[in-house]
Amino acid sequence: MKPFLKKSIDNIKIKSEHFALKLKRPIKKSVEIVMSNRLSATGFVMIVIFVLIGIAYFIFGNHVVPYNPLKINLSDVNAPPSIHHLFGTDQLGRDIFSRVIAAIPVDIGLAVFIVLISAFVGLLLGTIAGYFRGIVEEVIMRLTDLFFAFPPLIMSMAVAATLGPSLFNAAFSIIFVWWPPYVRLVRGSTLQVAASDFITMSKVLNTRFSKILVKGILPNIATTLVVYATMDIGTAMLTLSTLGFLNIGIPVYQPELGIMSSILTQSLYSDPLEGLIPAFFLFLIVMGFSLMGEGMAQIIDPNIRSHLFSRRRRLEEMKKSNKGTSKTVE
Amino acid sequence: MEGKRELAYFILKRAALSVLVVLGTIIIVFLISHYLSKNPAALWAGPKARPATIAYVINRYGLNKPIWFQLSLFIKDFFTGNYGTDPVTNLPISYEIFLYFPNTIELILTSLVIIVILGVGLGYISAINFGTKKDAFIRILYTGAWAAPTFLVSILAIIIFSSYIPVFPSGGMFSAITIPPPHITGLSILDSLLTLNFPDFVDGIYHIILPALVLAFLNFGIITRISRNGILGVKWLPYVKSARARGLDERSVNRRHILRNGLVESNTVIAVMFGWLITGDVVVEEIFSWPGIGKFAYTAIANDDYPVLIFIVIVFTILVIVANLIADIMYATLDPRIRLGGEE
Repeated sequence: MKPFLKKSIDNIKIKSEHFALKLKRPIKKSVEIVMSNRLSATGFVMIVIFVLIGIAYFIFGNHVVPYNPLKINLSDVNAPPSIHHLFGTDQLGRDIFSRVIAAIPVDIGLAVFIVLISAFVGLLLGTIAGYFRGIVEEVIMRLTDLFFAFPPLIMSMAVAATLGPSLFNAAFSIIFVWWPPYVRLVRGSTLQVAASDFITMSKVLNTRFSKILVKGILPNIATTLVVYATMDIGTAMLTLSTLGFLNIGIPVYQPELGIMSSILTQSLYSDPLEGLIPAFFLFLIVMGFSLMGEGMAQIIDPNIRSHLFSRRRRLEEMKKSNKGTSKTVE
Repeated sequence: MEGKRELAYFILKRAALSVLVVLGTIIIVFLISHYLSKNPAALWAGPKARPATIAYVINRYGLNKPIWFQLSLFIKDFFTGNYGTDPVTNLPISYEIFLYFPNTIELILTSLVIIVILGVGLGYISAINFGTKKDAFIRILYTGAWAAPTFLVSILAIIIFSSYIPVFPSGGMFSAITIPPPHITGLSILDSLLTLNFPDFVDGIYHIILPALVLAFLNFGIITRISRNGILGVKWLPYVKSARARGLDERSVNRRHILRNGLVESNTVIAVMFGWLITGDVVVEEIFSWPGIGKFAYTAIANDDYPVLIFIVIVFTILVIVANLIADIMYATLDPRIRLGGEE
C-alpha cells in the first residue's frame, strides 16, 4: 500500500453521533452532566459517600472500624444501640456498625464486578452478532434467548447451591443469568450503528474490525450501555444480597448486608433493628445507583431530551417575560 | 382471513420455540447440577449423608453411568414427575410442588393486577404532569420502590400494618379458624367463590392483600417508567397537536390520543417483569409464611435438600417461559405489527 494512502486511511476519523466519548475532558464533562440533574446529582453524592467508605475500609481494614467485624463476643449479645455499639450487637455479640462498614465494599465491589463482566460479555457477543449477522448472530441470539428465560434469582440459587458458598461463586452464579440483557442491548445498538454511512465508508476503506469497533461502534453504544449498567449495579446488588438473605452462595461469617438482614426471619418481634439496619443501608446504596441511572436516562433519552430542553428554554423565556410566579422544572 | 392464518402460524411458531426453550432449560439445569460440582453424589445426597445413602443416590441418578444416560434419566424423571421423596415430610416432591403451585400463582396474579393498575396509572399521571412536583414525586417513589430490598419492605409492612396498626394479618393464607374451601381449581380464593363460600372468600382476600401489595410495590417501577416514557414519547407529536387544534378538550386528548398510543410499549415489559415477580416471591412468601413454592424453596435450601431445589428451579423457569408465551400471543392478537415481523 502506498504510504500516502495508508496515512489518509489512518486520518479518517469515525464520527460519533452522541457526545459521550468525544469530549475533551470526559470525566469532568460526565460529572457535569450527572450534576446538572437533581435526581442524578443526589444519587451521585450518595454513591460517592458509600464508595469512599468502602475504599477506606478496603485500604485500612479494621483500623477504621471500632471493633473487629468478625469477632464473636458472647458476653454482649443482642445489645441495643448505645455509645459503645452505635447500632448494637447481633446474636453472636458482633458489632453491627463495624459489620455494616465492612460489608459496604463487599456489596458494592461484587455488584460492580458482576455488571462489568456481564457488560463485557454483552459487548463481545452483542457486537459480533450485530456486526457479522448471519448464522453467528442466530446462534448467539438463540443462546441469549434461552438464558433470558431464566428468572434471575432462581437460576442463581441453583448455581450457587451447586458451587458451594464463597464470594466468587456467588458473583459467578449471578453473572450466569445477568449477561443476556447486555447482549440484546449491544446488538440492538450495533445494528443501528452498523447501518449508518460512516461504518459503510470505513468498511469500503478496509478498516480493521477492531478499529471500527473501538472508534465507530463503541462510542455510539457507550451512553446507553453506561446508563443501563449504572441502574443495573443496584439491581445486581439486590439480587446478591437476596442470595445472602436466603443463606446460599455467601459464606455465613461474611459481613454482607443481605446475610446480616437474614436474622430478621428469626428475631422479627424480639429485636428487629438487628436486621433492619443493614437492610436500610442496602436500600440507601441501591437507591443511589437507581437515582443516578434514572436521572441520566432522562438526560440521554433522545426522545425526551429534545423536548425537555426546548421546554426548558421556553419556560426560561416565560420567566424572563413575567418575572412573577413560575413553574419549576428539574 | 389472511390475518388469521398468520396469527395461527405465529402462535404455532412461538409454542414450538417455547418447547425448545424448556428442553434447553432442563439440559442446562442438568449440566449445572451434574457437572459444575466436583462431587455431584455428595451434593444430591446432602452434606451429612451416610455412605449407604450416597451409594443409593449414585444408583438412583445413575451418576456412575455415561452422560447421555444420566441426561435421559433426568429428562424422563422430569416428565414422569418422578422427583423422589422429600426427606423432611416424606411426601413425593411432585405432589408437594402441585400442592403449593396454585398458591404461588394466586399471589403472583393478584400482585400483577395491582401492578398494572398502579403502574400505568402513576405513569400516566407522571407523564401528563411532566416537569412538575407531582412528576418528581412519582419518579422518586418508583425509583425508591425498585431500589428497596424485598425483605426490608416485607418486614416494614408487617411491622407497620400488622403490629402497630393491626389491620392486616402478618401471614398465612387463611385464619386458623377458617376451613379452607374444597380443592377445585387449586386457587383457593377462586374456589371459595365457586362454592359460594363467602366467609372464606373474604378471609382469603383479607390475607392476600398485604403480601400482594408488597410484591406489587416492589415491581411497579418498571411499568411506571416504561409507560411514562411511552406517553412522553407521543405527547409532543404533531397528531396530538392537531387533535388539540381541532378543539378537543384536554381530557379526551390525554385519554384517547396520548394514553392509548403511549401504552403500546408498556405491554412488552409485563413478561420480563414476571421473572422479577418470581424473584421477589421467594422472599415475600417466606416472610409472610405463604404456603407457596417460594416458601418451599426456602425450606429446601434450609434443609440442604438439593433435588427439591433443582426441580423448583425448573418449575419456576417453565412458569416464566409460559408467561412469556402467553404475553407474546396476547400482543400478537392485539398488535398486528408484531406478528408481521417488523425488523427492529
